[in-house]
Amino acid sequence: MAKQVSITANELETTDRWEAQMRKGCLEMAVLASLWRGRLYGLEILRVLERDSQLVLAEGTIYPILNRLRAEGLVQSEWVEAEAGHPRKYYQLTSAGRERATLMAKTWTQFSAGLGCLIEPVLKREEVEQSL
Amino acid sequence: MTSDAQINDYLSRLRKSLSGMTISEREDIVEEIRMHVRERLGESQANVESILAGLGPADELAEQYRTGLLVQRAQKSISPLVILRAALRWATTGVEGFLVFCVALVGYVTGGSFLLLALMKPFFPENAGLWVGPGQFNFSLRMGATMTNPPSPVHEVLGWWLIPVCLVLGSLSLALTTKLLQFLMRRFRWKVPRIGAVHARPATMAF
Repeated sequence: MAKQVSITANELETTDRWEAQMRKGCLEMAVLASLWRGRLYGLEILRVLERDSQLVLAEGTIYPILNRLRAEGLVQSEWVEAEAGHPRKYYQLTSAGRERATLMAKTWTQFSAGLGCLIEPVLKREEVEQSL
Repeated sequence: MTSDAQINDYLSRLRKSLSGMTISEREDIVEEIRMHVRERLGESQANVESILAGLGPADELAEQYRTGLLVQRAQKSISPLVILRAALRWATTGVEGFLVFCVALVGYVTGGSFLLLALMKPFFPENAGLWVGPGQFNFSLRMGATMTNPPSPVHEVLGWWLIPVCLVLGSLSLALTTKLLQFLMRRFRWKVPRIGAVHARPATMAF
């Protein structure tokens, strides 16, 4: 018989908060990575993040982040006349931005691999409990 | 209110809240948000209310812009005013920011006091100094008749050397506080800008 694991609303809330913090911490890397293949405008970046990383941002969040990244010299922007009938502000990585994105991706991979070893037994235990 | 009027109202509130930025910075931001709204309006099932709600209140959006830029500017600036403003903004985001603001305040007030004392010495040579006596060792400006009759065991020891000593100590305090604050801002930069909601898709784990 499967074991019932009761999770209280409080525990769920704590986990949600932790997950939200983790996602916030990764936002800068995610935005830089979304621009890796070429220039995009704000709404496209939101869609790419949603499609490729399942990060769904509040729409107003992306623009201040892009503005800060531009001020830091990690991305550059230009207004381009679009077929849509109105101009779009496109962003692309600068060389400093590419370096930062590479560094962050490497750090993330190492961190995630290290942590993966640590949490492996936790996940295995979960699988065993579910099969019972 | 028509759709255009709603958009213009939102954008004018945003423009007003982006105080402290140059006109071109401000207009660039307003124009980008205007284009975002137009782009979203072109999508199916989108209406102005839901698009503007998705952007969040205009003053909160402006706040995110200002905080991000102020902190970024403060990481490079050596102006105590810029750094104090950034620390003050940080202080509104939590305990960590409040502690940093306290450190900034103590550091800058100490530095400023030393410099002020050096400036006061030429004007009040008898009252500004390093006072030493039984159980006492402090730099201060003494006013009134406390130093006159009867002679106090507390006496001034530096004389005119007070000026260079205070100038050096004041400059050091200001420089060290600035460096420490810039280090803390770089160290904790993830947490400084107030970032809006980040959601996962229901029933998915992205990482």
